[in-house]
Amino acid sequence: MSTSSTCSQISEALIAGRQEELLKHIHSALEQGTEAEQIMNEGLVAAMDAVGQRWKAGDMFLPEVIRSAKAMSGAMEIIRPKLIESNVKTMGTFVIGTVLRDLHDIGKNLVAMMMEGAGFKVVNLGIDLEPQVFVDAVKEHKPDILGMSALLTTTMPQMGEVINALKEAGIRDQVKIIVGGAPVTEEFAQEIGADVYAANAAATVDKVKAMMSAA
Amino acid sequence: MVQTMNQTVFRGPQFRVLTDSQIERIYGAAIDVLETVGAQFHHEEALDLFRHKSDAVVDSDNVVRVPASLVERALRSQPRTITLQGRSGKHLLRMIPDEVAFGTGSDLPFFIDRTTGDRRRTVRRDVCDAGKIVDYLPEYEFFMSHGIVTDAPNPQTYDRHQYLAMLETCTKPMVLTSVDGEGLNDLWRMACLLCGGPDNFRMRPQFVAYIEPISPLNNDRTAVEKLLLAAEKGIPAMYTPCPSCGATAPASLAGMLVQSLAETLMAVALCYLKQPGTPLIMGGVTTVMDMQTTTYSYGAPELSLASAANTDISKWLGLRMFSTGGCTDAKCLDEQCAAEQMTNLLYAHLSGANLVHDVGYIGSGTIASLDSLVLNNEMIGMVRKFCAGINTDDDHLALDVIDEAGPGGEFLTHDHTFRHWKEWFLPRLQDRSDWDTWTADGSRTIVDRTREETDRILAEHEPEPIDPAIYSRLRKIVKEADQRHS
Repeated sequence: MSTSSTCSQISEALIAGRQEELLKHIHSALEQGTEAEQIMNEGLVAAMDAVGQRWKAGDMFLPEVIRSAKAMSGAMEIIRPKLIESNVKTMGTFVIGTVLRDLHDIGKNLVAMMMEGAGFKVVNLGIDLEPQVFVDAVKEHKPDILGMSALLTTTMPQMGEVINALKEAGIRDQVKIIVGGAPVTEEFAQEIGADVYAANAAATVDKVKAMMSAA
Repeated sequence: MVQTMNQTVFRGPQFRVLTDSQIERIYGAAIDVLETVGAQFHHEEALDLFRHKSDAVVDSDNVVRVPASLVERALRSQPRTITLQGRSGKHLLRMIPDEVAFGTGSDLPFFIDRTTGDRRRTVRRDVCDAGKIVDYLPEYEFFMSHGIVTDAPNPQTYDRHQYLAMLETCTKPMVLTSVDGEGLNDLWRMACLLCGGPDNFRMRPQFVAYIEPISPLNNDRTAVEKLLLAAEKGIPAMYTPCPSCGATAPASLAGMLVQSLAETLMAVALCYLKQPGTPLIMGGVTTVMDMQTTTYSYGAPELSLASAANTDISKWLGLRMFSTGGCTDAKCLDEQCAAEQMTNLLYAHLSGANLVHDVGYIGSGTIASLDSLVLNNEMIGMVRKFCAGINTDDDHLALDVIDEAGPGGEFLTHDHTFRHWKEWFLPRLQDRSDWDTWTADGSRTIVDRTREETDRILAEHEPEPIDPAIYSRLRKIVKEADQRHS
C-alpha cells in the first residue's frame, strides 16, 4: 500500500475518532518504513485541521471533536518519541492549571484536550494551585506555553500572582502565557502582563499555533 | 432479574385547560344553542336535507335548529383517524389525538419583499417560494399557501392557480382554500390526477378543504356548497369558525367556545345528512378583538388559551383539531414577534392539537414573511424538544456513569455523552457563542442569520418535480377554469 493512502487511512480514522483503528494504521505505516514526520504532517495534523474546520462550520460537535482529540493524543504518544529521535521539531509543550482557590476543572480540561488534539505535549497540573506549583512546573517541563484558567472574578487576580512569582523566579521570559475563563477579558490579560487571551478552547489552539509560528 | 411494575410514565409534559366537567358544561350549552337559537343557512340543498332527512326544525327565516340526538348520531359517524398524503407519496400525516403537526396558514394578501424590506401584494412567485421553504424545512408537516395569488387572471379562479403554484414546489400534504364549490371540485380533480383517481383520494386524501362559517351562527351559500361537495367526494374538511371575542362572539372565552362549538356541530350534522362519515376537523382561529385598535389579534394570550381549550373539547368529542400557533401581531421579526410566536407555538403543542396552522404569520394575519417561516422552524424545534419530556429508564438515569466519573470527575469524554447528546435540541439559527466570537463575527442577530438561511434554501433546495405529463393535465384544468370565467 502506498504511503499516501496509508496517511489518508490515518486521517480518516482520526476524523472519525476511532482510536484503535488509528493506532493500528500508524503501527503498520511505521513498520512499512514511513517517516514519523510524514505520518504527523500528512496524516495527523491534516486530519485535526479538518476536524477544527468542521467544528467551526457546525458539521462536527464537541463530543465528536473530543473523540478525535483523544485519539490524536494516543497517536502522539507513539509519534512524539520518534520525532525527537530523528531531531524533528515537535509541536511543543503546554502546561496548564487552574489558579489558587478555584476548583473549576472542566473548561481547563477542555483546553488541555484540544491542545493534545493539536499535537502538543500537555502537562495538566490540576486545580486550586499555589503560584509556586506553576513556577516549579515551568522549571521542570520547560514548556513553550503556560496556560492559566479561572472561572471566578474572585480568583481571577491569582493569575497575576502567578506571573509575579515567575518574574521573581527570573523565568517569566522563558515561557509565553495564555489566560482564559468566563470572566477574563483581553484587557484583563494585558493588565496582568499575560501574552495572550483566548475566549474559548478552540481559540486557544488557534492563538497558540499563531504564537508558535511567529516565534 | 428484577423487573419494575406498576409504573406510570409521562411521554411529555401534561397540559390541560378544561376538565371533563367543564367540557360537559360547554357541550351542553352548545347543544342548547343548537336546539333553541339555531343557525342560519343560505343554501337550498342544505335546508332540504335538514327538512326532509332529519328531525331538525327549519324556521321561516332559514334558521335551522337541530336536536341533540342528531348531533350525537353525527358525531358517532366521525372517523377517529384521518391520514393525509403529499403528492410524491413520501410525506404522510396521520391525525390521531395528541399527535401534533405544524404547518403554514393561507391566503395572506401582503408579503414582505425580501429585496426592499417593504410590504407589497402577494403574487404567485411568493407562494412558490413559501412552498419551497416548507418543502425543505423538517419541522413543517403540511403546507397552506402562506400568501394569496393576487396576479391570477381572474380572482374567481385564483384557487386553481394557487394550488398549482403550491404543488410546483412542495411535496407535503396541504390544506386548501377555494372560491366556491366549483373551485373545490377543480382542486379535487387536480389532486385525483396526482394520486391516481377518486378512490385513492378517498383513502389517502392529498388535502383538507378549509371552509369557514360566518360567526355568529351564519352559513353563507359558498361555504355550504363547499361543505356538501366535500361530503360527496370524501374530501376531509375543516369548518373553522373565526369568532372575534367581543365582536362576533361573547367577550367571555367560555361563551365564545360555546358559540363556535355550536357552529362546528351544525356542520357535523349537515355533513352526516349528506354523507355519514365525512371527515370533519374542528378548530380555527379563536381570539379577541383588540379594543384599542379593532385588530383581530394573532398574538393575544387568549388565542392560545382558547385554542388549547378547544383542543381539549375536540379530544373529548373524538374529533380531530385544527389549531393555531407561530403567529403574531408584530409587523416584522422583532422581540414582540418572537415572544408571541413562541408562546402560541408552545401552547398549541402542549395542548396536543393535530394541525397547528398559521405558523409564520405576521401583521395580525395579513402579512406573509419567508424569514418568519424559517425562524419558526427553529422555534418549533425548541418546542418539540420540550414537549418530548424526560426519559427515566436505567440508561437515562445513568447511575453507572455517575459512579464512574465520581466526585470531581468529568463526562465530556464518556461514551454515554457521545451516545446521548444528540437527543438535545440542536440550534441552527440561535447564537450561543461567547462575546468575543460573536463580536468578531460581526455581532449578527438571529434575524441576520435567518435571512441568510432563507437565501440559502431558496438558492439550493430543489423540490421533486411533477411528472410533465401530469403537470400539463393540471394546467389544462386551470386553463379551462380561466376560460369559463373569462
